[in-house]
Amino acid sequence: MKILPFLFLFVLIPGLISLSAQTALPDTASRESAPAPAAENLGDAALEAELAEQLGAEADTTAAKPQSSPALQGSQARPGGLLNPQISAIGSFVAAGTEKEAVVKPLNLGLSEAEFSFQAYVDPYSRADFYFAFGSETEDPFLGPDSEAAASGEFEAELEEAYLTILSLPFGLQIKAGKFRSNFGRINPVHPHALDYIDYPRMYVNYLGGEGLSDKGAALNWLIPNPLDFYQELSLEVTSAALDGPSFQGGSKHLLYLGHLKNFFDLNDNTTLELGLSGIYGPNNAEGDKTAIGAADLTLIWKPLRYNRYRSFAWTTEALFSNRKMPGEEVNSYALYSFMRYQIGRRWFIGARYDYSEFPEHNCRNEKAYSAMLNFYATEFQKIELQFQHGVPAEFDSFNRVLLRAVFVIGAHGAHKY
Amino acid sequence: MRLKMNFSRITVIFFLVTSVLASLTGLKAGDRLRIVTTTPDLASIANEIGGERVETFAIAKGYQDPHFVDAKPSYIIELQKADMFIQMGLDLEIGWAPPLLDGARNPDILPGGKGYLDASAGVPLLQVPTGDPATLRAQGDIHIYGNPHYWLDPLRGKIIARNIFGGLARLQPENRAEFQKNLDLFDQKLDQEMAKWEKQMQPYRGTKIVAFHNSWPYFEERFGLQIVGFIEPKPGIPPTPKHLVEVIKTMQEQGVKIIIISPYYSQKSSELVASKTGAKVLELATSVEAFPGINDYFALFDYNLGKMLQAFQESGNN
Repeated sequence: MKILPFLFLFVLIPGLISLSAQTALPDTASRESAPAPAAENLGDAALEAELAEQLGAEADTTAAKPQSSPALQGSQARPGGLLNPQISAIGSFVAAGTEKEAVVKPLNLGLSEAEFSFQAYVDPYSRADFYFAFGSETEDPFLGPDSEAAASGEFEAELEEAYLTILSLPFGLQIKAGKFRSNFGRINPVHPHALDYIDYPRMYVNYLGGEGLSDKGAALNWLIPNPLDFYQELSLEVTSAALDGPSFQGGSKHLLYLGHLKNFFDLNDNTTLELGLSGIYGPNNAEGDKTAIGAADLTLIWKPLRYNRYRSFAWTTEALFSNRKMPGEEVNSYALYSFMRYQIGRRWFIGARYDYSEFPEHNCRNEKAYSAMLNFYATEFQKIELQFQHGVPAEFDSFNRVLLRAVFVIGAHGAHKY
Repeated sequence: MRLKMNFSRITVIFFLVTSVLASLTGLKAGDRLRIVTTTPDLASIANEIGGERVETFAIAKGYQDPHFVDAKPSYIIELQKADMFIQMGLDLEIGWAPPLLDGARNPDILPGGKGYLDASAGVPLLQVPTGDPATLRAQGDIHIYGNPHYWLDPLRGKIIARNIFGGLARLQPENRAEFQKNLDLFDQKLDQEMAKWEKQMQPYRGTKIVAFHNSWPYFEERFGLQIVGFIEPKPGIPPTPKHLVEVIKTMQEQGVKIIIISPYYSQKSSELVASKTGAKVLELATSVEAFPGINDYFALFDYNLGKMLQAFQESGNN
């Protein structure tokens, strides 16, 4: 009986793909032939049905042929590595100095991560993205001396993301399958080196893990049509809970379920507002006890179109509520952070962040952090960032620390998330 | 105060409500072809060729830097409904168009789709880099295929128009003759205007100017100007005092009286150089609709050449 849902999906997805491909059937004859009589157009649907019946299983291969004359596409071949995917390598150098009594090593510095990405269209229906990371464990002064001792500095290889996206299914749907960063909140899908601060917000560290939530599974993303014509996307993810995080743990038979609704509004040409709502539900231990997390994120961006490289302002606030059930115990707790960033010049940004976080298992303890940031973008391909932080851990003495990071990229020019 | 809530239940209810609220109105299937272009220049030419059969939406505004448009999700809604997508290509839009196309759920406008059009097809390019690609970024923001600002040459605009004609005829073969007529009219008008512009610029051929960014090689070549320096030390790198000293020297030695700049750059460094050299900073339109009155592709050149002629006359350059 358990095989039925899989059979259903196996039939459904190819069906949807061939349906979407039919909208893109080539007008190969159109450039030469005389205009089609109007009467013929009326019978298109019937003819299409007839052809589909006669072609049977071969319908797919026909649709996969080139859609248009190559002469009308870009005129230049990509120099070098003709069929290679887009490749890029990103390095992240971090230096951290902590002023605190129980510090093992007052200064840590070195490469914290090297990431390699490979991206390309697979075929007319889909694209694939691979990200491999070599990272070294960094110390977390919020966790006291133990974490500093654990930060061995050795590099560990990790498959950060590897997924297939089927881009254009009917009804505004997309499917994503593989291992990917979950579409939770504003920043979970973003790779940490692309964030405007060096340390991950405490809310994420304490509830989703030091690098956020990333799991194996599948996602369905629906662009919801609405009468106001604003961008509204619903993501539903079912993943395998192959996790070892603070809120969610593998080892049980249960899966992890995630939903995210993204609403995006243009307030005017220069100002946008994004409101996201997220929910996750999954096992918090090997016995299968459950945790549910609900979260909201709000981002306001002001960026004057004409001088968008000189001035901008962004304000993001995220909050989450966690309900963790364990035998004989239930813990409700919450966390939030708020981050503001102002661009003072073509290359310079200043920012500030406030963090408040409880813990999945304890709502009677909390930690706070106050951060100030200065970012310098040498070019699109290199940034240098400085962060000062005053941390108030839950169980240890408060501390001050300074973080410095340089992030640099070579290879394919990635696009920027807005 | 801590509320006892069952978040999982709330989450489920929330999504159900959302799904119901979201009205499942089908996409608007108007008679006109919906064309989304990356820049207003492409929209203007598409309007010339498509006439009443098309309606266009340009993502970038005319006064915006087409390299650095923000990929706002709201553009995805426009692309989802589009029959055709036209880009300048040559990696001009590399930083923002791909995620918009991928998000649009519209196979027709993905690369390879019948509504996808790269306007650079067949355009003779300038400044195609020849060195090892791995050394390119040491030279600043260099485009691997060549300089992408080709629409600033009206004759290359004819090739854009021909490409758009091809795309439109592919989508609406029944209107091919009409598009052909519009294309012929566009070419004729461009020839007339071109004759006028060349005549206007004739006395000033060979005039030396300085530009802020390397956006003008096609414009320079077509109208016989000579760009002898850039305010930016390398494309995309902000001006440094040391480099500005060199620019000032060059301008003084060669008697350069004009600095041209696009509307989206800060004019501070250019004004500074102008004040030291007695030159004038001219803010030229890099795209249609950059300034009020530049309503189409022809007006773009009328505006820019008008501004230049006025400056040449004032500075006694000839």
